[in-house]
Amino acid sequence: MPDTNFEPKIIGFFCNWCTYAGADLAGVSRLQYPPNIRVIRVMCSGTVSPHHVLRAFQKGADGVLIGGCHIGDCHYLRGNFMTIKRMRFLQDLLKFTGCEPGRLHLEWISAAEGPKFAETVRNFTEKIRKLGPSRLKLAVRAA
Amino acid sequence: MAPAQVIGISGNPGNFSVKVRQQARYIDMAKCIACGLCAEKCPKKVPDEYNLGLAKRKAVFLDYAQAIPPKFAIDKEACLFFKKGGKCKACEKFCPTGAVDFSQVDEEKDVSVGAVIMATGFKPYDPAKYEAYHYANFPNVVTGLEFERILAAAGPFSGHLVRPSDHKEPTRIAWLQCVGSRDVNHCDNSYCSAVCCMYAIKEAIIAKEHSHDPLDAAIFFMDIRTHGKEFEKYFWRARDEFGVRFIRSRIHTIDAVPGTDDIAIRYLTEDGGLKTENFDMLVLSNGFEVSPQVLELAKTLGVEVNADKFAETSSFTPVSTSKPGVYVCGAFQGPKDIPQSVMEASAAAAASSELLSPARFSLARKKPVFEERDVSQETPRIGVFVCHCGINIASVVDVEAVRDYAKTLPFVEHVENSLFACSQDTQGLIKDRIREHQLNRVVVASCTPRTHEPTFQETIKEAGLNKYLFQMANIRDQGSWVHANVPEAATQRAKDQVRMAVASAALQPPLQEFDLPVTKAGLVIGGGVAGMEAALGLAGQGYKVSLVEKKDFLGGHALKLNNTWNGEVVQPYVEELVKKVNHNPLIEVYLNSEVSGVEGFVGNFKTMVNTQGRENLVEHGAAIIAMGGHSYKPKEYLYQENPRVLLSLEMDQALREKNPMVTGAQSAAFIQCVGSREPERPYCSRVCCTHSVESALKLKELNPGMDVYVLYRDLRTYGLRENLYKEAREKGVIFIRFSLDDKPQVQQNAKGELTVTVRDHVLGIPVNLHPDVLTLASAIIVKDQEKLAKLFKVPLTSDGFFLEAHMKLRPVDFATEGVFVAGLAHYPKPMDEAIAQAKAAAARASVVLAQDAIRAGGVVAKIDEAACSGCQACVGVCPFGAINYKEREDVCEVNQALCKGCGTCAANCPSECITLFGFSHKQIYTQVDEALAELEDMEEAAG
Amino acid sequence: MNKLREKVRNLLKEGKVAGYVGYMMRDSHPLPHFFTKERLEEVDQAIAAPDNARYPLDKLLQQVASRYPEETFAIQVRGCDERGLNELYKWGQLDPEKVVLVGVACNQAQADYCECPGPWTSVIDYGEKCQPVMKSRRVAQIEALGEEEAFKEWLGAFQKCIKCYGCRDVCPMCFCKECSLEHPELMSTGLVPPDTIFQLVRAIHMAGRCIDCGLCEENCPADIPLRVLYKKANEIVKDLFGYEMGVPESGPSPWKMLGEESTLETKPM
Repeated sequence: MPDTNFEPKIIGFFCNWCTYAGADLAGVSRLQYPPNIRVIRVMCSGTVSPHHVLRAFQKGADGVLIGGCHIGDCHYLRGNFMTIKRMRFLQDLLKFTGCEPGRLHLEWISAAEGPKFAETVRNFTEKIRKLGPSRLKLAVRAA
Repeated sequence: MAPAQVIGISGNPGNFSVKVRQQARYIDMAKCIACGLCAEKCPKKVPDEYNLGLAKRKAVFLDYAQAIPPKFAIDKEACLFFKKGGKCKACEKFCPTGAVDFSQVDEEKDVSVGAVIMATGFKPYDPAKYEAYHYANFPNVVTGLEFERILAAAGPFSGHLVRPSDHKEPTRIAWLQCVGSRDVNHCDNSYCSAVCCMYAIKEAIIAKEHSHDPLDAAIFFMDIRTHGKEFEKYFWRARDEFGVRFIRSRIHTIDAVPGTDDIAIRYLTEDGGLKTENFDMLVLSNGFEVSPQVLELAKTLGVEVNADKFAETSSFTPVSTSKPGVYVCGAFQGPKDIPQSVMEASAAAAASSELLSPARFSLARKKPVFEERDVSQETPRIGVFVCHCGINIASVVDVEAVRDYAKTLPFVEHVENSLFACSQDTQGLIKDRIREHQLNRVVVASCTPRTHEPTFQETIKEAGLNKYLFQMANIRDQGSWVHANVPEAATQRAKDQVRMAVASAALQPPLQEFDLPVTKAGLVIGGGVAGMEAALGLAGQGYKVSLVEKKDFLGGHALKLNNTWNGEVVQPYVEELVKKVNHNPLIEVYLNSEVSGVEGFVGNFKTMVNTQGRENLVEHGAAIIAMGGHSYKPKEYLYQENPRVLLSLEMDQALREKNPMVTGAQSAAFIQCVGSREPERPYCSRVCCTHSVESALKLKELNPGMDVYVLYRDLRTYGLRENLYKEAREKGVIFIRFSLDDKPQVQQNAKGELTVTVRDHVLGIPVNLHPDVLTLASAIIVKDQEKLAKLFKVPLTSDGFFLEAHMKLRPVDFATEGVFVAGLAHYPKPMDEAIAQAKAAAARASVVLAQDAIRAGGVVAKIDEAACSGCQACVGVCPFGAINYKEREDVCEVNQALCKGCGTCAANCPSECITLFGFSHKQIYTQVDEALAELEDMEEAAG
Repeated sequence: MNKLREKVRNLLKEGKVAGYVGYMMRDSHPLPHFFTKERLEEVDQAIAAPDNARYPLDKLLQQVASRYPEETFAIQVRGCDERGLNELYKWGQLDPEKVVLVGVACNQAQADYCECPGPWTSVIDYGEKCQPVMKSRRVAQIEALGEEEAFKEWLGAFQKCIKCYGCRDVCPMCFCKECSLEHPELMSTGLVPPDTIFQLVRAIHMAGRCIDCGLCEENCPADIPLRVLYKKANEIVKDLFGYEMGVPESGPSPWKMLGEESTLETKPM
């Protein structure tokens, strides 16, 4: 039975130089998006370890959105090379274990891409809303 | 000082007085917080210049989202107040900070400066001038820059690829090259604009990626000029992987397709047939021009321009104008791309600071030092300040509720609202509260840390707190502004973000910064033109330099060159340069020497220089690698089998020495791309086309009756060099194109006479040439760069050239700080560009050397050695080579002077024993937990 | 067996190695044993480990080597053990110059049981090459399930965990001094079963590093099919980065370097 009152909780890890700036630009441009996201600012998306993501799922996040600079535009040159390695791996591991890999999303959003930021958050929130509460969270709660 | 114009200059180099007219913005810059309410309320819409008229902006506006300074301005020409005589004033009414000021007037100011740099840029050629392009009357004919805006996420169509007339997604797009370039019939611009081929290819690739349906992208061109670093590979990828069609043709006519908004292009195919194709859009790859305003400014400053209206410069002093003390960089110096412009920018800065080095720091002010309170033993006492930002936050978020909520959080001792947290008053108030309540952490809930964090950090520092004991919760840019219609949810989010910030602040330790001394000396590796210019650049600013050269003489390959592309004689310049280097008391030259070991890091290098077995220790703060290149020795075209076959530099020598084989020749041929643009060497050597054309002209000068042939693939006389190509054709040099799969054949008979067979691309039949001398334009290659790359921990490209930190934005820097690159070691380039790059490297190195100390610490990573198992996972993922493995202790260590604080290592450590200060694992986990804690509570409450 | 003993004896006698980490039959049990020159006669008792006798000799070697960093040691390895050594070299935990292999090829039954992709060593001193198993049936079985089913399977397994850390303690590749599984900020303390993500965290650490020896699974009192999880983790690493665990030619681990370029693309939402 779908929960009609379900409000997804989404954790965003955004790099200071691109995606966090893109989020600010969305604000300056007054682009509206759902208020379900809670943002943790990191210096580089390369700061985000798979552990951080798993902790978020363990603690009840319905979705985790990671934002970094486009490849080649990383403020730290190649920090985001590790981000994509880690997250692509984690997505495949989540898939194998039935942990709904779609709840983890990585998007490259530049400081100039305010509209892309707003659209990404909108689409991701909608997607998670349709998926309903995370399977992992329900299991944790049931235990 | 934007917007402003220079209207006069007087005085001498080192001591100019410049008259500047500063235009009124009608916005008080000190008060504007760039919230954008003014623009939202402004009733007047005008075409937006930034989006090239494809979108609208208001009469009060910010040039573009990332504009510096981020302050609005009123466009007097459009504003209703000015046009309608005192009516409207909507902006003034709604501005929360009272920043609108209609009383401002233009002001004239005198500015005292020592040097002037002209970085005035270019104006795109206006294709409306030439009717046949139908730019003015077909809406779907756009310029290259307009197409950039269409593709941009922040552009007029939010990055959706649609055409202007009906917003339909195009499935067929054509690019037309050389619009306003290489064309004296339809404009007066005979030169090549040097960047359009690359931008057209880039646009075609991005358009293909953006397009939902398969997109047909066709580029109509004369020569593809991808002569920059890694450009040739990009071109190949566009053609072979993305399927961009490259059609070598000039277009015959552009017509409308009746009844549609489509465009019909009629063109001549290579075999001479006439063909018509329809497209949804046509992009005109328009070139560069110097704008009349810049010409006016040049006149004001007394700067001479050349026939193409670019600043007159010499190849040997590429950023010096005709007026001493006035320098030039970027597109006003000549058409060029971003990396080249950035290099020149640094070179111009170097030239200015050489001129002004005696006055260095004379106007600098020392920052006051504040005593820091030791809070390490205290439990956290946090003050939370929740900002209204006028109505920007308070009209959506219940800031009082957020304040009251903050009071309930652990360690929070004091809470307070403020109308504008960033105002002077509130800054003072925060300092007072820190003292009153003995606060040792501060959290401000307001706008984005990206703009105001430094302000607040400065404030708490003045109140005796370590500046890192601060956190911001972004409840405006990522709060009220984006959740304007859901105030309750926005308030909830604001509370959550404040809770996360408070929890993170409670875990934040004070961070120490410390100073490392700088050895004020440079090391330059390579004694060619680039190395010598770099050394002189550093010495000119007063730094000691050690110049290391492998051979037993200075000068390098320049000793073998006759002329620069615009005819300046090279030898006297090089001789003078060698003399200057040898006589400069600050420069120590190590001939017959090589670098054999490198220790240390930026500011503190200790390098071993090996001179014929003898080791010398050189201490230096920065290093410039300028070890040069070599010419490729071909194994084809009878090179070294027949004496009539020469390489380009050997041709120079023959011309110099008036070798009778050349002076007496009746016929001469050149073969281009020998060893370049081949699968095993997939790059263009950049200089060879110009060099061959130049030599061809010399031969024609020697003997106008001589038959001279240039066999080429694409002729790449980029920029103003195109004029040489034009001249060569006018003087009867015959250019014959060949393709990679049908290269010319060279044979000799028993008498050693040559026959060159090449398929004529117009007639389609083989042509036999019998040149008395054949010149091979062989590739520029690099050798033995691996060793130095390893020693300095800097990378190489797959072609063996040194790989800079960023191909466009940091063209002379490495990711490893304190190490720079110039000349052919970076990529093949002509002398003027090598000199500019050498000067740029000197400028970048002097940024390091000018400092008395290197500030290290703060947000950096640290390894807990007790927990480190020496696996070195961190070492390889550090983009800056800042981590060392200490073999004896079997642990890794972060060099805090090199660490930039990205945290890639911290996330990579399997033991999580690396902490990125300010973003520790514990702080991140805690923020995650806090972000989700409310949820847990709610669910528990709901059962 | 004589060939193996002869080799070990010579190595010890000629002083080429300071010791040999191998197996010996004791009280009719095949047990790990450290052979030395001083007790050369013991080499007569040295054996190649029978199928079911499997101990983390790589781990023992690490302990010995860290105590005597200047010495060279010989070690008996199966295919998996050798992969482990290769991986440990890459991770700076052992010096390849100080290790001499005594190689044992597994028999077909063992290879089939392990679903081992490389059941032999680069030098074989005992046994003969058999057919490798290139595709794991156990992994395929999970993959054949629907996502929800797979989740149920794994959740059921994870919930049996009694948090004994046996998997980690026996693992030849677990060399960390501090273990993420015991980080109180990452993993809740005092819970049995542990956090649901417990095994996922370990799988992250095993990716591209697990040598597929299967000791964790054999050691697990709760019969959690750990080996399946790590086999898959390795497979993902191979698919995404082209990195083959335990193969020297595969270059440095993708987790240990940035790479000069990045060609991976983000997954569409």
